[in-house]
Amino acid sequence: MSLDTPPVAADTPVDRRTRARRVGRGALFLVMVGVAVVMLYPFWVMIVDSLKSENQFLSGHGFSWASWRTLTSTIPIAQEVVSSTIICAVSILLILLVGLPAGFAFAKLKFRASGVIFLAIVSAMMVPLQAILMPEFVNITRLGLTGGYTGAVLVYAALGTPFSVFLFATYFRGVPDELIEAGIVDGLGYVGALWRLVVPVAIPAIATVTVLQFIQIWDDLLVGLLFIQNTSERPITVGLAVLAAGRTTSIPALMAGSLVSALPAMIVYLIFQRYLVKGLTMGIDR
Amino acid sequence: MIETTVGARPPRLTLRRRRQVAGALFALPAVALVAGLIAVPIGQAIYYSFTQWNGLTSTWIGPSTWTQAFHNPNLWTALENNAWLLLAVPFALGLPLLIAMLLHQRVVGWRIFRSIYFLPTAISWVVLGLVAERFFAYQGTLNSLLHFIGLAHVNTNMLGYESTALSALGITFVFTMIGTNTMLFLTGLATLDTSLEEAARIDGAGRWRIFRHITLPHLSRFIQLAFVMTVIALFSALFSLIFVMTGGGPGYATTTMEFLIYQTGFAQGDFGTAALYGLILFVLTAIVGIVQLRLIGSDE
Repeated sequence: MSLDTPPVAADTPVDRRTRARRVGRGALFLVMVGVAVVMLYPFWVMIVDSLKSENQFLSGHGFSWASWRTLTSTIPIAQEVVSSTIICAVSILLILLVGLPAGFAFAKLKFRASGVIFLAIVSAMMVPLQAILMPEFVNITRLGLTGGYTGAVLVYAALGTPFSVFLFATYFRGVPDELIEAGIVDGLGYVGALWRLVVPVAIPAIATVTVLQFIQIWDDLLVGLLFIQNTSERPITVGLAVLAAGRTTSIPALMAGSLVSALPAMIVYLIFQRYLVKGLTMGIDR
Repeated sequence: MIETTVGARPPRLTLRRRRQVAGALFALPAVALVAGLIAVPIGQAIYYSFTQWNGLTSTWIGPSTWTQAFHNPNLWTALENNAWLLLAVPFALGLPLLIAMLLHQRVVGWRIFRSIYFLPTAISWVVLGLVAERFFAYQGTLNSLLHFIGLAHVNTNMLGYESTALSALGITFVFTMIGTNTMLFLTGLATLDTSLEEAARIDGAGRWRIFRHITLPHLSRFIQLAFVMTVIALFSALFSLIFVMTGGGPGYATTTMEFLIYQTGFAQGDFGTAALYGLILFVLTAIVGIVQLRLIGSDE
């Protein structure tokens, strides 16, 4: 914006309009700082409250590392982080394994009724888990899959697949037909064409799906709460939510745990921000 | 589709046929997963909504389950709560629009501000619910703020009362949606052709007119998308917040449809009615979903 370039030298008499603009800019900056304070509030609460012992929290005075020192005995945090990590990794792997070939098929290897089937899969994006919660729960329990991570992983994979298929198909439409034809004629076969030609150009789309799904699954409560029976296999959000709802665990400990649970998703988010934006606006912004 | 023939020896299956078979096989795992874990349960929910079902045995009752459900005041309370929460939607869109416009002015450090504004998006709503509980608590931040601005006698406890708990939930919901929606609008603004705005400014159009006649129409698709995402989140993503903040209470004051499904099924063990409630939620989101599909579809 050329209009906003500052005056050439500081000594020259600034005319009224520039001064007004400067004041405006200053006010704008202050408003933005204000919004930043509001958006950082959760982190401030977590940090400040976690730096208190239970008594200090109740009295409102003093700080200590007490809650952090006893964190592992209050909340089985290490094991919960491991559970969350395993569930995320396996679910995302599954989503990519079924989503990539399906997206490729719907974009480049059209078969009978593929258009209708594609539309049906995309529509499944709109089905909230709560709408099918009861049958889903009974099916998974009857199959005996609530014992380990399998049930939860399958549900996450099923919920994440429609979006990934949509995103991959949209992405693959941009790959030239000739590239794939040539690969197949050269004897790569369809699996080879997918693996050697299509996947390498789809890295940004893969990153988008991975980041979106990581945050989604890492932060989720409902699936982990209902589809994982053993408390020793609970992911971290479930552990925190159950302790919070029980109202017996000290707030500082919960806040320390919350901070630990928030860290991985925040780091992933800050590094891969642009993929997230891309995923969110997929379909309207190209 | 163009048929390609390869060299002198014709393959057993034509290339086109082989391509179709490969396509079907490639799509199969995804189709099976979605069919087995999403489509089949919808069918089951329809069946079970006509039965008395505790998860193990089900007895067919027929349509009377539906009339019974519609006579249950809890269902109406939940629907009413969902309807009230819709009042949060204009704020969940308006505030992010304002914030995106501010960011779009590109003042010093706007990239850092952008990252800060989006940061809560990465956090679980379980954690945000815990923080919100601290905010609204009797000895929480809200009361400290009220005391600070001189209202020393005011002591709120919004989550503790039936009359205010839903508002507290709505405010928390608005906060949780700010990051995502700001992100959407900022992306929309970035695709705006600035020369149009410049031209309008030179022609003497005021800020409001430029916003009203150039910026807003340009953003319409982004606003539509944000609207649909916000409403769907409102119907199906509040579970974590409700679970940690209120447990649906006090009374049924913060029990929305999705939470009612969970309560009916898992606290009362009435799987049949919970399945039926699920279908009602399904229909509600399907209506919003059709709008969304048309948005996506119109672009292809």
